[in-house]
This record gives sequence, C-alpha cells and structure tokens, in this order.
Amino acid sequence: MKNLDTGKLLSDYGNVLVLLLLCVVISVVTLEEQSPRSTAAAENLAAIIVGDAGKDANILILVRRGEGQQEFANTLKNTLSKAGLNVTDTVVGTPADARAALGKQTEALDVIATDEHMAAFCLEQLPNLSKKYPTLANTTAYQPKKHLWPNFLKKENLLNVLKQISVVAIIAIGMTMVIITAGIDLSVGSLIAFSGVITALSIQQLSGGADPTTGHLVLGCAAGILVCALIGMGTGGLVTLFNIPAFIVTLGVMFIAKGLAFIFSQSAPIPIANEGFAWLGRGSDLMGLPNSVVLMLLLYGIAHVIMTHTSIGRYIYAVGGNPEAARLSGVPVKWVLVFVYTLCGLLAGLGGVMEASLHITGDPKSGTLVELQVIAAVVVGGTSLAGGQGKIFGTLVGALIIGVIRNGMNLTGVEAHMQSVVYGVVILIAVMVDQLKNRAQKTN
Amino acid sequence: MKKNLTLLPAILLTTWLGCGGNQEATAPANTGVNGENAEKTKGIIAYTPQTLSNPFFSVIGDHIRAEAEKNGYEILIVDPDYDVKKQSDQIDDFIAKNVTAIVLVPCDRLSVGPAVQAANKAGIPVFTVDAKCAADGVKIEGHVGTDNFQGGELAGKAMIDALGEKGGKVLILDLKRAHSCVLRVDGFKKVINAHNKEADGKVEIVSELDGNGDRTKGYQSTADALQAHEDLDAIFAINDPSALGAYTAVKEANREAKIKIIGFDGQLDGKQAIKDGKIYADPIQHPDKMGKQIVQLVIKYQAGESFEPETLIPATLYTKAEADQDPELK
Repeated sequence: MKNLDTGKLLSDYGNVLVLLLLCVVISVVTLEEQSPRSTAAAENLAAIIVGDAGKDANILILVRRGEGQQEFANTLKNTLSKAGLNVTDTVVGTPADARAALGKQTEALDVIATDEHMAAFCLEQLPNLSKKYPTLANTTAYQPKKHLWPNFLKKENLLNVLKQISVVAIIAIGMTMVIITAGIDLSVGSLIAFSGVITALSIQQLSGGADPTTGHLVLGCAAGILVCALIGMGTGGLVTLFNIPAFIVTLGVMFIAKGLAFIFSQSAPIPIANEGFAWLGRGSDLMGLPNSVVLMLLLYGIAHVIMTHTSIGRYIYAVGGNPEAARLSGVPVKWVLVFVYTLCGLLAGLGGVMEASLHITGDPKSGTLVELQVIAAVVVGGTSLAGGQGKIFGTLVGALIIGVIRNGMNLTGVEAHMQSVVYGVVILIAVMVDQLKNRAQKTN
Repeated sequence: MKKNLTLLPAILLTTWLGCGGNQEATAPANTGVNGENAEKTKGIIAYTPQTLSNPFFSVIGDHIRAEAEKNGYEILIVDPDYDVKKQSDQIDDFIAKNVTAIVLVPCDRLSVGPAVQAANKAGIPVFTVDAKCAADGVKIEGHVGTDNFQGGELAGKAMIDALGEKGGKVLILDLKRAHSCVLRVDGFKKVINAHNKEADGKVEIVSELDGNGDRTKGYQSTADALQAHEDLDAIFAINDPSALGAYTAVKEANREAKIKIIGFDGQLDGKQAIKDGKIYADPIQHPDKMGKQIVQLVIKYQAGESFEPETLIPATLYTKAEADQDPELK
C-alpha cells in the first residue's frame, strides 16, 4: 500500500523532481565569484576604506555605467563624505571617462573606490598612469568583497529563464489540450511568424506610415491573434469534417502559413515604429516580473481551471481517452476538436505577437522549429501522445525543464549542436519514463 | 527502478556539463598589482556569431579566444545557429552573467536591436564583427569587418584579367538580402564599367540571378542561365558555396573549359577548388585578422583609450599561384 503511494507521487510529481535536480546541478556548475552591486555592498566598501585610509584621504569613485550603478556610486559618495573623507569626483561611465577623470586629479589621490569592472581597469591602467601623473603615485583601488554564488540563481537570470520560455510555454497550453485529444498541431511555429507579420503589417496600415499610437498597436495585435485563431479553426474543421489526420492537416497549414508570412512581408522583417510595442515582450511592470511571465502564469491558472473544473475540460479528456465512448455518452466530439485547434491557433498567434514585441519587428523567419520545442515541452511534462492523459501544470514544468537546461548550457558555454543532442536525450528519457509508468499502472 | 530512470537526465547532465566547462580559461597572473583588493582576471569577453557551423565564424571565434586569453581575458562562445531569438536570449544571458564586453555577429541586423539596447542599458559595451547592427537607438562601440566593396573591385579586376583582351559575357550570382554581398557586386560593377569605357574588349553583364549564397540555388540559377546564354564566358558568385554550385552546373553542361568562375570568401573548399582549377580566383576575407582586431578594440575600450570605431580589413586576391603554395590544401 505504501509502495503504491510513493509510486503515484513519483508519477505525479516526477518531473518536478527532475526540474529541482537540474536546478541543483546547474547551480553547482555555475558557481562563481560575484561582485555585489547593492547599496549595502557600497556601505560595506565605504566602511573598509574609512578604516584603511583614515580621515582627510582624497577619494575618487569610479563605477561602470549601467542600471543601478548610479545608486551604488551615490551611496559610496554619501557614506564616505559623511565619514569626513574628501571625495574629489564621482564617475559613472566608460573606461574612457575613468581615464579622463584620473588625468584631472590635482592633489595626490589616496584611494579609488570601484566596482568589479572599473577595478579591472584600475589594475590594468594604474601602473602606467601613475608614471604619467604623479598624483596617482600612491593610489590604491578598492572594490566590494566578492562572494561565491551560482550565476544560475541570480534573480535576473531566473527571470530570464522564465521570460525565455514564455512563448513556448503559452503555446504549449493549447498544444497540451490538442495532444490530450490524441491530436497534434505542427503549424504553431509557422503561425508565430505569420502572426508577427500580420501584426506588423496591420500596424503599418492602420497608422498609414506615421508613428503608430497605442490604439494602433492593440488593434494590430488583435488582428494577428484573430487571424491565427481563424486558421486554427480551419484546421479543426478539416480534421473533423474530412477526417484527415491532424498530422497531415497541420503539416499543410505549416507550409502555407510559412510561405504566406514570407510573401506578405516580401521576405524582409517589418519594423514597428513605436518602442512602446516592446511592452509585452521586454517590459516588466508587476513587482519586477516581466510582463510576458505574468501573462504566462495567468494563462496557466485559467487553463488549469478549465481543464479541472469545467465540462469542456472533461470533454477534452474524454475525447482523447475514447472518442467513440465519448460520442455515445453525449460529448460533442467535433466541437471539442474544433475548440482545441482554435485555441491552439489563438495562443500561437499570441506567441507570435510576443515574439514580434520582443524584437519590435514582424519577422517571417521567426518561429522556425518552435513547434517541436512546444511538443517537447508537452511530452516532457508527462502528457501522453496517445491522448486522454496529461496535466496543464505538467507542461509548465516540462517547459521549465527545457528552459533551465538551455540556460545552464548557455551559461557554461556548451556549443549549439551538443545542446541539440541533450534536448533529444531528455525527450527520449521523458517518453521512456512515461511508458514505464503506464506499464506499471496497468500491472497494478 | 522508476526512480533511477527519473534521475537519469540529471546524471547525464552532471557528467556532461562537467565536460562543457572548457571555456573557463585560466588567465595569466597579472603583475603590477596596485591595491590589495585588486582583481585576478580582467573579465569575460562573450562572443555570439551567426553560427559556428560556418568555418568563417568559427575561425573568427578561435582567434578571439587566442587573442583574449593572451591578454588575460576569459572567453565565452555560444552558437545561435542563425536564430535571432536564440541570439537575443544569449545576450540576455550575457547580461545576467555581467560580462565585460559582448562581441556580436547579428543574425538579423534589425531584430537583434532590443537585445543590444538591453546590453547598452546594463552598461556592457557591444562590438560587432563582419555584419553590422542597423537597428535604431543602439550603441555599438566598435566594428571590424571586411571591405566588401574593395573585395568586389578585386573580383572585377580578376574578371577582366580572366577574360583577356576580347572581353566576354558574364553572369552574376548575387544575394540581395545580405548588405555585404550587395557591396561586393557594386565594387565589381564599378571596375567593369570603368574598364568598358576605355577598353575595346567589353565585359558585358548579361544576367544577375539569385544564388542564395548556397550550392543548391547557385547550381539551379546557373543551369538556367546556361540555357538562356549559349555564349556565356564567365560567372561571378558572391561567395564560395554559390560559386561551387555554379561549377557543378557548368561541368554538367560540359562547358567548364570555356567558362571561368570567380568566387568570394576563401573558405577551405573554395581554396581547394582554385587549386584544382575549378574556380579561377577568390577575393579572400581574413577572419583570423578580424578576430584578433576586435579583441584589440575591446582592450582599447577597456583601457579608456581612443580608437577608430570602424576597421575595414581589405580583401586580398587568391589565385592558383597562392593555392599551389598553401600548406592547408591537398
């Protein structure tokens, strides 16, 4: 009895376990010395300098430009000034700015307070500069104390991972439903390109070549998403009315949508002349969470409710489990199929808008082979290609597993073709586990 | 049993990520350390080309690595495989890693813009090699590329030389969507037009077709042109793969004795074809110099020195005489 419970637990949360293990492994291999850039680190650094240099010391603050760097420099300046030290100048800029500032020192400089990058500059340049400028003869450079921390577990990096999987994960919601009905949709990658191109073209048309307003942007996005939903509906129609296998129908749609994306865009990426369009793909408004991630989590919440608490959710499982039995018990099988393909097309259209937003361009080349990544996320997430089985949150975990592996390999510099081999191995193992699980359940 | 299987991917990864750490270069110890809290390495230079499967970009990468390590930098090389989405993700990863500088060959000169802007915002200097970034509102600190126009001029001179006093009819295999290749054709035409004003034996460009920069399309377009122009004398292809595709078509039509082919790039199989007499000559690019010089720009930037933001490396002409001396070839 106890045995059975652990078995069930493992089959339900097995991929969560894999995800956690992956995170641990990647954390270990990306462990590296980090230079802190917080205001607290600036205060600590200032305290050390005050202790070492004593009062009346002349200090120059050199920090590389970038987000948050100004605050770091200001904290250093305020803390040091308060302690009575003489801050001669505060530079937040490029190495060229730093060089200029060093040349301008009129009194003997005792200390340079830096961040990690400017510390490298000082290490390199001070020996030569001190020969040229006598004021630098006795100058010491300080930087914040380093500590060990995995690059993988940095907040920006984790947000990157989530942001990078958002398009695939959102489309994978629709794909999960399609696969639960024992179907497949190969067209989603092409629909990304098609939706991006339609969106960019609509915005161009609506604004008449002038700067598009936010209203134009919203309408353009709606056009891209709607067109893809209609294509999805057409796919569903062909699958149900003519009884053509979904594989063949969506293969056809894949070629058509890809070709049309290139024809409509005349094979060139279409830029969108409003930076505001990047809001969805690159913005982050809610507590520092990227907007695309918020959207992804929201959609997963809704999809989970649909699949577990509504009749359409139960119908989807029923159609995949046994279509004949479902039909006999009054499930509108054909409408359910049209629904899932429409939804899948709609989400692919949304993915295309997100992709276009990320690059502020409608690019007919985008979305290439994304359908396979989406299917991989669904399969790794534990949904059976035979239909009738699968969980929405399993798919999110599957997308995370793939995203985390990709990120880990990029952080450690593994080359692209090896990455492809690893993806393949992970997918095969996921399917093997799935098969063994089913077999175990049957024998039980 | 089941549990073991679930763990397998993680175990596999552990072993293999362990092997993948070869990019962690050890920097030589620095001398002249001024200050006890000073750094040991100078930082990381990150390189994302269009692909590493094209030898041109991997040679650039090899020389970036060599030059960077010689100067005490670590190097991180990734491969976006022509996918601008992947490349943008990689740039985001570089920013999270807080690298010292990013060296980029844009997969798409417009779409990569927002990612470059993100790097700009993070204060990380971005450099481009070979292809430029043409997006609005991005700051590129330096660029090293080939002087494609001058390379095209070299190809034009080689063409005049190959056709001799009588001149002849020429087919161009172009790749209009690549700006660099448009420049090659422009340089080629400039020399040809200047020649035609003075000389009696005119060089006539009878057709310009898309060669797509690859063997398949180069072959197809040439085969069509050979049908249309019975008296074709020569072909200028904007890179080696399309030149080699053209050769296949010419050979199939048994016209290889008459039709001279000029390519571009100087990739290994292109050079071999020149040695074998299949291609007449190539203006060649110098990816080794490009890799080396871009690192020099990074070093100058990091030192706060002033430098010329754009370096164009001249192409040189590679003919059978050079090929016969080339130790790389069979």
